[in-house]
Amino acid sequence: MASRFWGQGDSESEEEEEEVESEQGSDSDDDGGRGGAGHSSGGNRYLKNQEDDSDESDTGHRVIRSLRDKRNEEMRSIVDQMRNAMKINDWVSLQESFEKLNKHLEKVVRVNESTEVPKMYIKALVLLEDFLAEALANKEAKKKMSSSNAKALNAMKQKLKKNNKQYEEQIQKCREHPESFEDEAADDKDMDDDDDDDADESDAEIEDPDKIALSESEEERDEDDDDKEGWEQKRSKKDKLMDKQFLKDPSEITWDIVDKKLKEIVASRGKKGTGRIERVEQLTFLTRVAKTPAQKLEILFHVISAQFDVNPSLLGHMPVNVWKKCVNNMLLVLDILQQYPNIVVDTSFEPDEKETQKGADYNGTIHVVGDLVAFLERLDSEFLKTLQCTDPYTKDYVQRLREEPLFLVVAQNVQDYLERVGNLKAAAKVALRRVELVYYKPQEVYDAMRKLAEQPEDTLDDDAEAGDEHQAIDDNRGPSPFVVIPEVVPRKPTFPESGRTLMDGLMSLIYKYGDERTKARAMLCDIYHHAISDEFSVARDLLLMSHLQDGVQLMDISSQILFNRVMAQLGLCAFRAGLINEAHGCLTELYSTGRVKELLAQGVQQSRYHEKTPEQERLERRRQMPYHMHINLELLEATHLICAMLIEVPNMAASTYDKRRPMSKTFRRLLEVSERQTFVGPPENVRDHVMAATRALNKGDHQKAFSVINSLEIWKLLRNRDHVLEMLKLKIKEEALRTYLFSYSSCYESLSLNQLTTMFDLSEQHAHSIVSKMMMHEELHASWDQPTKCIVFHSVDQTRLQGLLFQMADKLSVLVEGNERAYEARTGGTLEGVPPRRRGEGQDSSNMGKWQENFVSSQGRQGGGNRFGYSGRGGGSGQSGGHQRDRGNQGSRGGYGGGSRFQDGRGRNQSGSSARGGDGGARMVNLNRVGRV
Amino acid sequence: MAEHDLTPRLALHLDRHLVLPLLEFLQERGLYPEEEVLAAKLRLLAGTNMVDYAMAIHKSLHHGTDDDEVPEDMVARRAEVVASYVALQEAPSPLVAFLRDPQLVQLLRSDKQYNARMLQERFQIGSDQIEALYDNAKFQFECGFYSDAVAYLNQYRVLSTNGERTARALWGMLASEILNRNWDAALEELNRLKEIIDSKNSSSPLNQLQDRIWLMHWSLFIFFHHENGRNGIIDLFFQDRYLNAIQTNAHHLLRYLAIAVVVNKRRRNMLKELIKVIQHEQYCYKDPITEFLECLYVKYDFDGAQQKLMVCEQVILNDPFLGKCNEGNSITVPFRDEFFENARLFIFETYCHTHRCIDISILAEKLNMRCDEAELWIMNKIKSSKLDANIDSVSGTLNMTVNHVNVHDQIIESLKNLNKRTYMLAQNIVEPAQAALQAAQGD
Repeated sequence: MASRFWGQGDSESEEEEEEVESEQGSDSDDDGGRGGAGHSSGGNRYLKNQEDDSDESDTGHRVIRSLRDKRNEEMRSIVDQMRNAMKINDWVSLQESFEKLNKHLEKVVRVNESTEVPKMYIKALVLLEDFLAEALANKEAKKKMSSSNAKALNAMKQKLKKNNKQYEEQIQKCREHPESFEDEAADDKDMDDDDDDDADESDAEIEDPDKIALSESEEERDEDDDDKEGWEQKRSKKDKLMDKQFLKDPSEITWDIVDKKLKEIVASRGKKGTGRIERVEQLTFLTRVAKTPAQKLEILFHVISAQFDVNPSLLGHMPVNVWKKCVNNMLLVLDILQQYPNIVVDTSFEPDEKETQKGADYNGTIHVVGDLVAFLERLDSEFLKTLQCTDPYTKDYVQRLREEPLFLVVAQNVQDYLERVGNLKAAAKVALRRVELVYYKPQEVYDAMRKLAEQPEDTLDDDAEAGDEHQAIDDNRGPSPFVVIPEVVPRKPTFPESGRTLMDGLMSLIYKYGDERTKARAMLCDIYHHAISDEFSVARDLLLMSHLQDGVQLMDISSQILFNRVMAQLGLCAFRAGLINEAHGCLTELYSTGRVKELLAQGVQQSRYHEKTPEQERLERRRQMPYHMHINLELLEATHLICAMLIEVPNMAASTYDKRRPMSKTFRRLLEVSERQTFVGPPENVRDHVMAATRALNKGDHQKAFSVINSLEIWKLLRNRDHVLEMLKLKIKEEALRTYLFSYSSCYESLSLNQLTTMFDLSEQHAHSIVSKMMMHEELHASWDQPTKCIVFHSVDQTRLQGLLFQMADKLSVLVEGNERAYEARTGGTLEGVPPRRRGEGQDSSNMGKWQENFVSSQGRQGGGNRFGYSGRGGGSGQSGGHQRDRGNQGSRGGYGGGSRFQDGRGRNQSGSSARGGDGGARMVNLNRVGRV
Repeated sequence: MAEHDLTPRLALHLDRHLVLPLLEFLQERGLYPEEEVLAAKLRLLAGTNMVDYAMAIHKSLHHGTDDDEVPEDMVARRAEVVASYVALQEAPSPLVAFLRDPQLVQLLRSDKQYNARMLQERFQIGSDQIEALYDNAKFQFECGFYSDAVAYLNQYRVLSTNGERTARALWGMLASEILNRNWDAALEELNRLKEIIDSKNSSSPLNQLQDRIWLMHWSLFIFFHHENGRNGIIDLFFQDRYLNAIQTNAHHLLRYLAIAVVVNKRRRNMLKELIKVIQHEQYCYKDPITEFLECLYVKYDFDGAQQKLMVCEQVILNDPFLGKCNEGNSITVPFRDEFFENARLFIFETYCHTHRCIDISILAEKLNMRCDEAELWIMNKIKSSKLDANIDSVSGTLNMTVNHVNVHDQIIESLKNLNKRTYMLAQNIVEPAQAALQAAQGD
């Protein structure tokens, strides 16, 4: 610390020295250019340029150090050389060094900007004089000298004599007070050491910002402080030439000076040799000396963009401390904007040169170029990037996550500001950013965040506070800023009681003013939030009414990912609510490719067949979700597989004769794989568990099936676990009953309800209703015998030949339909005179139509009712519409006619498999079109 | 029973004047304390010009209490209304005078532009006078002189060129016709209005939705009184746009739709669609009627259905549209009876469909009938060959005849059709080809 204080003292004293000259210079010099400059200040200019040049030329490790120090250093080394030469009595080298020293003297004098000769030089002269006298006195030694040496000695003698005449006075002084000269040399050395250290440190930082970000935050803070002050100090030395204009009398600084300097710094962007962090520092300094609020604002904008520039690569992220400073700057900007409502920020307006010169008392509007929304969005994405880059299992991650309220407060303030100035479109964009930070939080997490944000400042985050303090120190040390901006904007976020309220508020703004993409994304977030709050029907209605599925193919990839995630959550939500079919509909497409991780952006999946280029991989990595937003994949998989099991097992049992189209191909495939295994071990992963349960369920063993499912670990992740498991148990029982009836109905003549209820542990009423439903839907050819409470089965089995005939009839009707359609397509008209086949006719009969008719038609559908042509005529009412809509794949839709159970009476999720989006790179889940009926 | 009362939800989408009959009905039913209903009426009337009626209600509300004096402001309001009414009556504008003269009216043609020009040139009647006609009509309507209002509005509609106000005039006419119990005319207005709403591309979807919901609410008056209303309501409500509107913002209308479908024997095919909608919306709307259908057709829970049916009775009786009595005969409520008849049939059908053998006493219980009554009822069904079954009176059971269609017949049935279709196809292809050939030969 001592050296630091000293360093500062030094610079101050020198400033005083220099004030004299620059005072003359600044007036004439600043706008007058080089020509009219006074002699001494002209030197300044020149030197400054030279400094720039030298900076550009040295490309290696840049030790940042002021020019003057460098010259002094060089001089000192020459003096040292001379000393060495004296020791060995080498007059040749001594002579060389002396010449060099003299040459160098000019430079040093120029740099030091004083007519005074450095004390070091004088001292060297004294030393040399003494040594010369000594050498001359020692005649013997002189004789021993080599000829060249002697020659050099003589030459030295004359030169020194001539030279010393100029400095006689000082030499005299030196001889009288040698100690005063001694001091300075030592001090100089000290200072240099200090310099080097700082330089090293800063080098390290430039090279490896990640390292700093990753190190323990405590340390980081300390180091940060050190750094900062180190920088501060160095700048005060190095940039003294620049700063001195500002550090002098505050009243002397004009708007022009600041503006000019600003332009200079801004122009230096991207040039070789300009340090990014230095630019930030320089600009930060300028903010303090800005003359008008508008100018301050302008400079602040530059500071912020310079801060964004600190991290050059797309992959890395902005250092955390810079990010925080950036946040503070944003708040400062907002303070200014609130304090001076006449300042307008926009991008379209081309302000004139002197726009920002207008002072605080100026009445009209002042335009400043800048884009708050862009800054905010950048801030957000940088925040996201840090989270992406940080290992989620470290403390850093948590620490970083705790800074989220910091961003939220900026966002809130920016939004408030934009709303105030009436730029509602932009406000909607900001609102979306806020929504995207909130939407994935269940109420519990939201509460935690709210609590965190509401904690008193000192416990909340020491970092921020330290930063503030730091700022304060800075401000105190420098001249106090000309434009003092009080903190008018709230520094703490305010959150409503529940996440829902917050979302609703933001949503209504976005829906009103947002553009298409903003609205679509917000809608997706809204649906997601509804889904995690267990409001399935609301979420579903929102999804259906917004028709998002239709356009999702055309959206950008991150929105598509969001859509996939929404579907995943919707599936989970439906599952929790016990809506198995809906859950399956939501999830099945997600799992049909086996690229779940990729589709949800929760990790990179290596594909065996498709090698990715590094470019693609990098892109993919950038799309990853931060860890805290992840959806648990095991839970998702379990949900999907269990749903598929509950649907598919009875389906398989029902269609042993004919190959009914599987409801879930993925599940079928997995089942086949697991059945091929020769030895079945105890279940290990989720898939094994579900497969084991499936085997049990196939046999109608609901207890075992449930216990296997129940043993899964993941259930503890569910909020209302018991409730869900209870639901699951009931569903398993129901499906076990159905499976049992499908499989073994042919073995029974009659079956008592009592037996069924004991077998499947269901209430009489429940079992009755399930069986009745099966009867009504023609899945079971039986009827109740009410007095005895028995199911009486009708044997309506068909022979193999008959079955084949049905299939043939089916195919023939498909063929005829195809022909007719081809004809229609060709001629453009409909066939005349053809018996009614689709239109109108499907209307009149139904399962609940006139029941006599129904008896007839129902018989036609035994054996599964998947004969399209027939059931379409006989009993498949209301399906004509669907049929026409889905002409393309009607051939493959066997299950449509009879399986109305699977449609759940809602017509959801039944359009056939949909085309995947374009190339393999399009990360899309095209979930089944869901049409609102 | 008040929990199933829809009046508060219906009233949101109705005109002040249209709410009055509903309140009237509530007062009659005594579902709520009379004071409350009266107070509600009073509040309702405060926005209208029917001051005399309001005063009467005020008196009956505060009957016996100290302040049965009519408040000052009401008296003042009355004077004001009467004054302007008298002014309107005595000094009719030239336009009104014109319209009162049948000979002059003959001059009008169907061309609006022409009329406007003609009136302007020959009678110095400008557009502002025409607009005044609208205000006049509004005043009449507020006073409760609905037929006058209709007359004025009709003329206004003919003369006005202002599209938006014409639509509003239509709404006014609809309300007036409804309140005049002039159902045929009202239905006409309704269709006219519907056309306007559906064709208006310019208005925002939100407005359209709102208009549709209003229209559906207002139409309830018509459909439940007009003789052909039962088909009308199904036709209107099941149109995609209107069904969407119901699902979006007017779930309670499902009750009326459900009743209409149940009661209407010929529209049985809509039942399936109705069930879908009911199931879809059950999270935000349910009442005993929809629950009954759900029990019967989704859960196949006959006991539940029967219980719901019992509750339905009260719901129907308390509903202002459904519970109205036949004139002169206060015991029969047509909708209740029809609903019960049909609901019973539904249960019976479904029950028979899943059963082979049913104990008649149990069946009677399910149908809410006495045993012998049920037997008679079933016998009638069998006799009219609506039911293929026979009664075993020894054991008291009903045995259903199970008849399977022969598999061969099925196959033949399914193939027979193909033959004809292919033939038609071939003919359609060959004919033009032959025609072309002949044409070629002719050349």
